[in-house]
Amino acid sequence: MPRWALTWLLTVALLMAALVGRAAPSEVIFWGQSFGPDSKGFEATIREFERRWPQYKVRVLSMGAGRMNPQKLMTAIVGKVPPDVIFQDRFTLSDWANRGAFMPLDDLIARDIGSDPFTPDLSKYVPATVDEATFNGKLYGIPFGCDTRVLYWNRRVFKQEAAALRKAGLDPDRAPRTWSEVLAYSKALTKFDKNGRLIRAGFLPNYGNSWLYLFAFQNNAQFMSPDGRTCTLASPEAIEALEYMVKGYDIVGGYENAQKFQAGFRGNEFDPFYTDQVLMKVDGDWILPGFLKFVPGMDFGVTEPPVPDDRYYQRGKFANEKDRYITWAGGFSWAIPDGARNKDGAWQLVKWLQSTEARVLENVAQAEWEKRRGREFVPRIIANMPANEESFRLLAPKDENVAAALRLHIDVSKVARIRPATFVGQVLWNEHVRAVDQAGIKVLSPKAALLEGQKRVQKDLDAEFEKEKFPVVDMRLPGYLGAGAALLALAGGIFAFSRRKMGRLERNEALWGYAFISPWLIGFLVFTIGPMVASLFFSFTQYNVLTDARWVGIKNYSDMFAIDQERLFKSFSNILYLGGIGVPLGLITGLGVAMLLNTGVKGMRVYRTVYYLPAIVPAMASTILWIYILSPDPSRGIVNGLWLQTLTPAFGVQPPGWTSVESWAKPALIFMGLWGAGSGMLLWLAALKGISPTLYEAASIDGASPRQQFMNITLPMLSPVILFSTIMGFIGAMNEFDRVYVISAGEGYGPNDTMLVPVYYLFQNAFSFFKMGYASALAWVIFIIILIVTLFQLWLGKRMVYSEVER
Amino acid sequence: MSAEMLFALSTLAGWAAWFFVVMAVLAGLRLAANAPGIDRDSAKRSLVVCSVGALLGFLVCFFTPADLGRQIEGEGVRIPAVWFYMHFWGWAALSGAVMGLTSLIQGYLAVSQEERTNKLKWMGGWLIFAGASFWLFKWIAPQVTIFRGAFFLSPATIGIAALLLFGSLAFLAFSTRRATTRSAGKTMWTHLALLAGCAIFGLPFAWLLSSSFKEDRDLTGGVMWIPKVTETTAYFDPNKPQFSGQAYGMEVTAEPTKDLGNGKFQFDIVAPFNMRGRTFEAAKSELKVVPKQVPIVNGDWDGTKFRGRVIEELGNGDRRIEAMEPANLAGQVRDFKRDQAPDSRPDGLRWKNYPEALQYLPPETNFGLVYLKNTLILVVLSVIGTILSCAIVAYAFSRMRFPGREFLFKVLLATMMLPGAVTLMPQFLIFKNLGWIDTLQPLWVPAFFAGAFNVFMLRQFFNQIPMELEDAAKIDGCSFLRSFWTVMLPQVKPALAVIAIWTFMGTWNNFMGPLIYINSPENMPIAYALQLFSGERSGEPGLLMAFATMTMLPVLALFFFAQKYFIEGVTLSGLGGR
Repeated sequence: MPRWALTWLLTVALLMAALVGRAAPSEVIFWGQSFGPDSKGFEATIREFERRWPQYKVRVLSMGAGRMNPQKLMTAIVGKVPPDVIFQDRFTLSDWANRGAFMPLDDLIARDIGSDPFTPDLSKYVPATVDEATFNGKLYGIPFGCDTRVLYWNRRVFKQEAAALRKAGLDPDRAPRTWSEVLAYSKALTKFDKNGRLIRAGFLPNYGNSWLYLFAFQNNAQFMSPDGRTCTLASPEAIEALEYMVKGYDIVGGYENAQKFQAGFRGNEFDPFYTDQVLMKVDGDWILPGFLKFVPGMDFGVTEPPVPDDRYYQRGKFANEKDRYITWAGGFSWAIPDGARNKDGAWQLVKWLQSTEARVLENVAQAEWEKRRGREFVPRIIANMPANEESFRLLAPKDENVAAALRLHIDVSKVARIRPATFVGQVLWNEHVRAVDQAGIKVLSPKAALLEGQKRVQKDLDAEFEKEKFPVVDMRLPGYLGAGAALLALAGGIFAFSRRKMGRLERNEALWGYAFISPWLIGFLVFTIGPMVASLFFSFTQYNVLTDARWVGIKNYSDMFAIDQERLFKSFSNILYLGGIGVPLGLITGLGVAMLLNTGVKGMRVYRTVYYLPAIVPAMASTILWIYILSPDPSRGIVNGLWLQTLTPAFGVQPPGWTSVESWAKPALIFMGLWGAGSGMLLWLAALKGISPTLYEAASIDGASPRQQFMNITLPMLSPVILFSTIMGFIGAMNEFDRVYVISAGEGYGPNDTMLVPVYYLFQNAFSFFKMGYASALAWVIFIIILIVTLFQLWLGKRMVYSEVER
Repeated sequence: MSAEMLFALSTLAGWAAWFFVVMAVLAGLRLAANAPGIDRDSAKRSLVVCSVGALLGFLVCFFTPADLGRQIEGEGVRIPAVWFYMHFWGWAALSGAVMGLTSLIQGYLAVSQEERTNKLKWMGGWLIFAGASFWLFKWIAPQVTIFRGAFFLSPATIGIAALLLFGSLAFLAFSTRRATTRSAGKTMWTHLALLAGCAIFGLPFAWLLSSSFKEDRDLTGGVMWIPKVTETTAYFDPNKPQFSGQAYGMEVTAEPTKDLGNGKFQFDIVAPFNMRGRTFEAAKSELKVVPKQVPIVNGDWDGTKFRGRVIEELGNGDRRIEAMEPANLAGQVRDFKRDQAPDSRPDGLRWKNYPEALQYLPPETNFGLVYLKNTLILVVLSVIGTILSCAIVAYAFSRMRFPGREFLFKVLLATMMLPGAVTLMPQFLIFKNLGWIDTLQPLWVPAFFAGAFNVFMLRQFFNQIPMELEDAAKIDGCSFLRSFWTVMLPQVKPALAVIAIWTFMGTWNNFMGPLIYINSPENMPIAYALQLFSGERSGEPGLLMAFATMTMLPVLALFFFAQKYFIEGVTLSGLGGR
């Protein structure tokens, strides 16, 4: 064996050795928060923990903290490498608990309640937060935050616009109290520039943090029936609330207009609320430090979030209501995933973190740090009530507006409602976000949008409650069957081989041949045909990896074509758009450049490099680059920046919203794709060089014009490449995933589902919701469609493609 | 006819007139050049036609209202502009009508009867197309919006444009001395088109590079091509000294925040960024005092222009400034409002984005080296695995005889069409059962099992090698393994290089794999780390751009070293796959 091969092998062995090695057992892995200047207090609590319990060492990983993307946690739990403690949005706890992914904590509390002073005393917690963390009578997380929402309003601008407000019959010295007042104030305060572009919004219903949940709660909507078996997302109360939101958007020129406006918002000292771009918003207490940090002394007011008129005046269906105002509270919790490798350490850490002592320590440490930076600190409202009291006693803010806001946030926690503790919490959330989007852009009426979401949530509910109907099936079955079939085939093969009459040499060669193709053969069995059969099998089951699989027959397929039909249709029509327009455009661009290069111009190599370079840029880097280039905010995105400098003054046309609006999202993807047309260009170039010049000579002697030459020589000679590129382009479009995932940040499917593509949808189902059965069924549908499209193209190719070889 | 339409027609006529003027000048030049090979008659004819066209255009332009556009303020010469905004089918109908009309004229001018009928047939086809499109247009979205407006060109711009135009015309006239006008003109247009394309294709790159050297404030303040950088100077702050020393196993810069009494202080780390906010305890003597970098400002000191440095940012937005120049003010201190003493920001590159981007990465990734290590492990193992396994399998399929070979090869071809999505979930379960979640194995082990496409391509190559070569080796008593390794493999080296490059690119780009299988930062490869970085650091676009540039540098470097194989690879994949 040559020496370099030996070196390679050694390297491989070394690298493999480097891969082995795991975390030490005393390490407690914590997901969901990270150390940094804004979490000094958190760091202090962790350091104190390590000091008091030196047997543990805490490892803190942010893992996209605060995001609603459950995919990472799910794969980690399923793969048996979960974190020990997770800082998780409380409303999703039930979802995880239902799958058995989190540990119930009641027994641990009962065990430690007398012996350990740090054991959580749930009677001292805001009751609603404990309810939210409880599922089927068991507690799955210790509540941390209790972030109530209130209305913030810009008193300064209200004063400036006092005349306008008075003219509209409104009082400029107070904030609106009811829905209709909000709309009237918003109408009086919203401003457009002379080109009709929104420059100041009175109120954007979903800006800040209100969502449909808040408005629906105010209207007494319940999202789930009391028994938790029926979803009531589309109750009349919720529909009214959504209609109110749509009206709110109409005032600012429609939802899409608002999205475009919002896409230009910037953070920190340029927050739209500070810069008078948005005058009223519903938001939580986490924004308070920003006032002190960026706009100390800003003249703003707070009030309870405005409620439906009938509720405020306590008439109609609200005549007997005791609460005039309603708000909504959410927040995070600490939970311990089932299968955590260091359960003792995890529980010890949770007990410490939730304790009043740790909560106060965190606030005091953060306050000290802020003070050194010359800033004031505002404690967050948390579920642990004694800790709240203690923190406020020590650290009440001096700014009177901020203090008033904090007071209000605490007071309204009495009327706070929470999202229902249901295992479909995440789906319900996603569907409600989608319904707001769809009703906003008016592709569906509020009622139809909510009904559609309700239908989908109900499907998941039914699937769970009806699963008893379906027989449990052993998921090792396909494995056994597959292994059995493989063994049988092997035995048959060996038998057939031994019966065959062969010479010694021949037999020797055949054996070597089998040995040589064995890598592919094994790979084919283990990674291709085996998984394919398994996936076919899965597609008839309901399986979430953590609990038993159920055999459901063709239910996955029938669901797909019944309930999910629209989404399936949408995802394929998106692909049809992307492929049908993007692929030909890419081909034409490539061909155009190749023909220019093929004229024998000087510097062909340099040009070729420049055109080809974008094609080899890693997809991730190029997507991130393009997100910035096509940013709808003209101060960020270069395209819109240039547009605003040239086209807008000349024609008065506003720059497009690119990925943030429905009509431009897919063209944006196509533009990004065109940038990589260089690899196609190379292919064309090679093919063009392959055309014999004699053909052109003969043609020009016959007097053919360049156009005729192109149509009658070039195109037919290129037709095999056209066929190949079209097929590959379509297959590529079908497998679109990376760009869409990055642009939508793994959440949602873009405005009105414009970014919903089959593989992304499959990925979400498989790895975010772990509906393995349903995702497998999807995979098969995708496979069959790709197959049909490819076969159709091949059939078309046979008729249209010129071939040297006569068939 | 609406006033809008009239304006649109008049504007178009004006533009057309200018176009004819240029064409007429061109024709005149051709006549004047008087070189052999120029068709004087055709030049004369086009001179006449263009002159008449220009005259007509100007006449229309003159007698119709040319200033109906929106009232637009601007400086310089007003060039009216129009644009029609209508549905796709509207454009289709319009182009169909134009094509039909062209065919009609061609038919009228045709030499032979045969050509005439042919052209008229074409005309019929185009008109039917135009009619159908028009109907669709009427049916789907019959609105036409005319955007009216104007560009304002400063005299300088017009001068430059005219200079360019006449320069290129002169170039044409000059080149006619050596070649026919036609080919010289063609070459120039080709270059122009290619250069324009290069600008479009290169623009994102240029912007990426320029952005990666910008300060964050310049990335959110409109279009800016040349980066500016704030000048800084070293300053030993007597009130808040900074120290540097060892903590958490690395070199850090820190500020003392609390006197712990026993001669030790509590220090807050200010750099590197990923350690920012952490604390440690040390005695001051264990550390070294280092200067801060403070911004230099330019301002006005009682009427004197001065340069100074910011020695303290006061909480209320003011800054305390110590003057440095001129000499008579040096050392004096005064408080300024921020806008009275703006930072001195000459054009320059902010190189610091690159190290800072790495400093922002989590500490356990050792400034991103861990990402690089993981990616390299993946790349090296994948490339080795793919090459070895594919070569040996392809060799067997090409050169060895064994029962079932044709059948198995057909199966292999069939798997080329299989989308990855179908096998995604079962594969995940397989790797999960092997306990390989959050390790790199799921990402490179499959490479050792020969991908179908590569096998297929390599087999074509093996098929092209003459049989005699291997036979000779066999007669010498070579085993199969040996003849594969020493005789056949060297023959397909170029193809192997191409496959290696594909595998490299595929592995470097792989995003979905790590997204599914990798959880902890110390196992992440670069592509996934970049996505996480972009999510967490979107507030610092300069750093993000620097990081993105760094992730693509190795790929670009490889491209420049192995350009030949890249280009060959694309050609092979397309033409080999016929």
